[in-house]
Amino acid sequence: MKSYVSDDMIFALATCVGKSALAVFRVSGEGSIASFASCFSKPERLLAAKTNTLVYGTVTGVDDVVVSVYRKGHGYTGEEALEISCHGSLASISLMNEKLSQLGFRQAEPGEFTFRAFLSGKIDLTQAEAVNEIARSQSRLSQTLALERLGGALSARIHRNRDLLADAMSVIEVQLDYAEDEIGGDTSFPFDEITDARDDLAKLADTFRTGSLIGQGAKIVLAGAANAGKSSLFNLFLKTDRSIVSAVPGTTRDFIESNCEIAGINVRLFDTAGLRTAGEEIEAEGIKRTKALMRSSDLLLYLVDSSDPEDGYESISERLEKEIPGVEKLFVWNKTDLPSAFEMPEGFIELSVDSAEGFEALVSGIVSSLGMVSDSNGCELLIESPRQHRSLVESVRSLDSVLSLAREEECLDIISVEMKEALDQLGYICGELTSDDVLDRIFSSFCVGK
Amino acid sequence: MDYDVIVVGGGHAGIEASLAAARTGFRTLMVTQSLDTIGRLSCNPAIGGLAKGNIVREVDAMGGQMGKLIDATLVQYRVLNRRRGPAVQAPRAQADKFSYSRLAKETLEHQQNLTLFMDTVVGLLVEPDGRTVCGITTGRGNRISSKAVVVTTGTFMDGRIFIGEYDAAEGRLGEEGAFGLGDCLRRMGLETARLKTGTCARVDSRSLDFSKMERQDGDDPIEPFSFENHVNSRVQVPCWITYTNERTHKIIFDNISRSPLYGGKIVGKGPRYCPSIEDKVVRFSQRDRHQIFVEPEGSGTVEMYLNGLSSSLPEDVQNDFIHSVEGLENALVMRPAYAVEYDFVFPTQLKLSLECKKYDNLFFAGQTNGTSGYEEAACQGLIAGINAVQKIRGEQPLVISRTEAYTGVLIDDLVTKGTKEPYRMFTSRAEYRLNLRHDTCDLRLTPKAAAFGLCSEQRMANLEKKIDLISDLKQCLLHSKTGGMNAVQALKHPEIDLDKIKDDVPELMNYPEEIRNIVQQDIKYEGYIKREDRQVERFDKLDNLIIPPDFDYRAMEGLSQESREKLEKIAPSNIGQASRISGVRTSDIALLMVYLRRRNG
Repeated sequence: MKSYVSDDMIFALATCVGKSALAVFRVSGEGSIASFASCFSKPERLLAAKTNTLVYGTVTGVDDVVVSVYRKGHGYTGEEALEISCHGSLASISLMNEKLSQLGFRQAEPGEFTFRAFLSGKIDLTQAEAVNEIARSQSRLSQTLALERLGGALSARIHRNRDLLADAMSVIEVQLDYAEDEIGGDTSFPFDEITDARDDLAKLADTFRTGSLIGQGAKIVLAGAANAGKSSLFNLFLKTDRSIVSAVPGTTRDFIESNCEIAGINVRLFDTAGLRTAGEEIEAEGIKRTKALMRSSDLLLYLVDSSDPEDGYESISERLEKEIPGVEKLFVWNKTDLPSAFEMPEGFIELSVDSAEGFEALVSGIVSSLGMVSDSNGCELLIESPRQHRSLVESVRSLDSVLSLAREEECLDIISVEMKEALDQLGYICGELTSDDVLDRIFSSFCVGK
Repeated sequence: MDYDVIVVGGGHAGIEASLAAARTGFRTLMVTQSLDTIGRLSCNPAIGGLAKGNIVREVDAMGGQMGKLIDATLVQYRVLNRRRGPAVQAPRAQADKFSYSRLAKETLEHQQNLTLFMDTVVGLLVEPDGRTVCGITTGRGNRISSKAVVVTTGTFMDGRIFIGEYDAAEGRLGEEGAFGLGDCLRRMGLETARLKTGTCARVDSRSLDFSKMERQDGDDPIEPFSFENHVNSRVQVPCWITYTNERTHKIIFDNISRSPLYGGKIVGKGPRYCPSIEDKVVRFSQRDRHQIFVEPEGSGTVEMYLNGLSSSLPEDVQNDFIHSVEGLENALVMRPAYAVEYDFVFPTQLKLSLECKKYDNLFFAGQTNGTSGYEEAACQGLIAGINAVQKIRGEQPLVISRTEAYTGVLIDDLVTKGTKEPYRMFTSRAEYRLNLRHDTCDLRLTPKAAAFGLCSEQRMANLEKKIDLISDLKQCLLHSKTGGMNAVQALKHPEIDLDKIKDDVPELMNYPEEIRNIVQQDIKYEGYIKREDRQVERFDKLDNLIIPPDFDYRAMEGLSQESREKLEKIAPSNIGQASRISGVRTSDIALLMVYLRRRNG
């Protein structure tokens, strides 16, 4: 924010630098239309253009362009603004850059357009964050969810709870204004209202893991003994032949990483070296790195070859829990198409990578292990900002202590300290009580042109 | 210049303002309509109460007089909410109102640099620059010049009292209102409006049947309001409690049209929280009774104050409804209840220093600013007096934060939000109450007073000794064992207090009771105090972002029209204050922060 000012004209390329059919520049600020008109082939048309209309023309010496016009109070920033589409060649882009600079536009800082939208009151802080989340989203699901937050669904939910708590607070406060021997009698403590708000906020806070998994992508690691079928499963997920599949154990050394979508969720999928007693030094190193990777994953898929299970396969889950504690795990009983003398242990998922039988069950197992309901296609509000999560968790913690203090019949003036904390934290989420350093951190994570 | 500071009015604000100015060595004149009514307790004969008791101790901690006046003249003392938490405990005392007023005048008379003068101020003198106030003109034609003027006219400016169909141009029953100054202020372009307040009837104690009432005794010993006095014991008199009943309410209902409040004669808005009995009966019609405290007006009089029965109904109706109350069947009314309507100055025209924004060297304090209550008046008087002096010295004004004292909350509320009804201080108005405990006012505020010359070296030395004792005792508890743990840990248990562990920690009793109480509260509520401290830190962050006085909101692009008008009118001193103006958008506050950052580089 240090470098943001808000009364000059800014511009930025809103599309990628690189060859494409079109490139779009965005400009915003008082005087933008008049300034741009000075280099435009039909200045009077542009100057007279109504808001939310298109004007076609030429920027002399640069390119033919289509200009979308936004008058003050309309458009994204709420300021007078233009979106200029030109040809997507590198030459056009660099000429347009030069031209806009000459006209007195300043290259925008990351997040500056959104910051101006925030300053003009068009959006609140949760919506500003949603803009950034949309920009970063890598899957359809994360896009849908962020759009919902941009629409104000998160603010509305926070405000609803805040109102509930503010009412409860006033019930507490009014009692503090009278001495204990004054009439009025003690009103009953608003347990129900506070509990309702607490539960709803806790539910919202709990969506963070899922929300951030969807937003930033889930890290799923395939593991298991050599030749358990990890690479085949990896390929099945990718539906492309990326890793080398061979019948010789120990082919995949270290690990291979790829992005894919599983049930609409963006996933970073890792195929690892088989966990085998190290035969040679290079493989020992690989195993060490594999274990580190497993520890940092959101979900571990552990494959066992049902036709040739490793020793003590019944207790694999116990062993893994000890080695890689705290990580979500799914156990896969693979190669069920081959004859087997062994019975599938409890808690495993049957799969035949070759025939893809059991694949659907595996996918829904993955979805639920990641804490998502299989049809979470945007109908549920999720959060993915760590800042929002922190405030929600703090708020719930304070409300828990409000409730337990009230049950212990602690004094109301003490309870109200915790109550105020809960309300403050909710205020931070929507930016109502936010100091400038917090704004700084939020908007500095944006990309230019947003 | 005839004087450095002229204080207009001799009520609770005027007393503190005059003393603060005179004590810091400035030649001060108090002008009042009557030298016989200085420091009168015009309404109930009591000082303190929830939040108000804290204010009295704040005033004392900053070198004011109210705490010492009440300590010397109280006839009953109680700490309210003893069974509740530390933030809402507060002292309250019944005063012998005649001794109180007499001692106030005596104190003023003996104050060096202070002159008392009886006259009515009807106008202000303004320098040729048109914006610096430099003195007063009076009803008898005196023109007195000064470097600063503090206006504390209470309920007297264009005051009018009402008892049923009767009304009179008075500021208090039997005392003429003050006319002229209000018109002068309006001519000067200041906005004023009408407010209304009321007081209760006084009855002859010999005509009451106390056997039908509940008796309420004071605490013994008493912990004085003033930090310079020490715990003592003295003879106290009881108060009595009785209740209105359905017959009382019917009498009031049947005669409501005879009340000037309901008949439209009174236009001023009355206090919501300390309403007249007719207001209570009309607004809380579902309640079948209201509490009445029967309080002695002093030890040398038979007059008793019927706290809770404020009214402006005609005297015959008052007699009827009073006689319908148990214990008051034969009550002989000595003074009737009445309402008073008066001019107040919109406090949003003032800075946090209580100086007028439009006129330099002109300060307002007390009921003139729309408050209600002796304590609220006193703390403003003190701050206005200090800041009049600071202005003459050419130094920064004293501004108390909301996080430091109820005084800070009160002034910030007044100048930032204004008020539409008499503003009374409540516990709930403050955000950080654990910080505003009455027993620690001196720790927070006395060092500030010292910086303004309102605290003797001896007092500072005593304060340092107190701070040492507090930390010694905490250390001592930390290193003492009781029940298998150290005494600090033990005290965190709700059922354990210092009294219970005194056998294990005998050194404890070497410390004065005052110190023991502070330490006990500090330890018991340590976790919450720390949590609140963090909230205070976040709050202060915004209050520390200063907006320069010459800041031009017109030069700010993108500010909404409504926010711009409000910001220009209030001219907040900092971002925190700006964010408390009602109707200013959050995003406009963020925008303001951006501009300030750029301005400050």
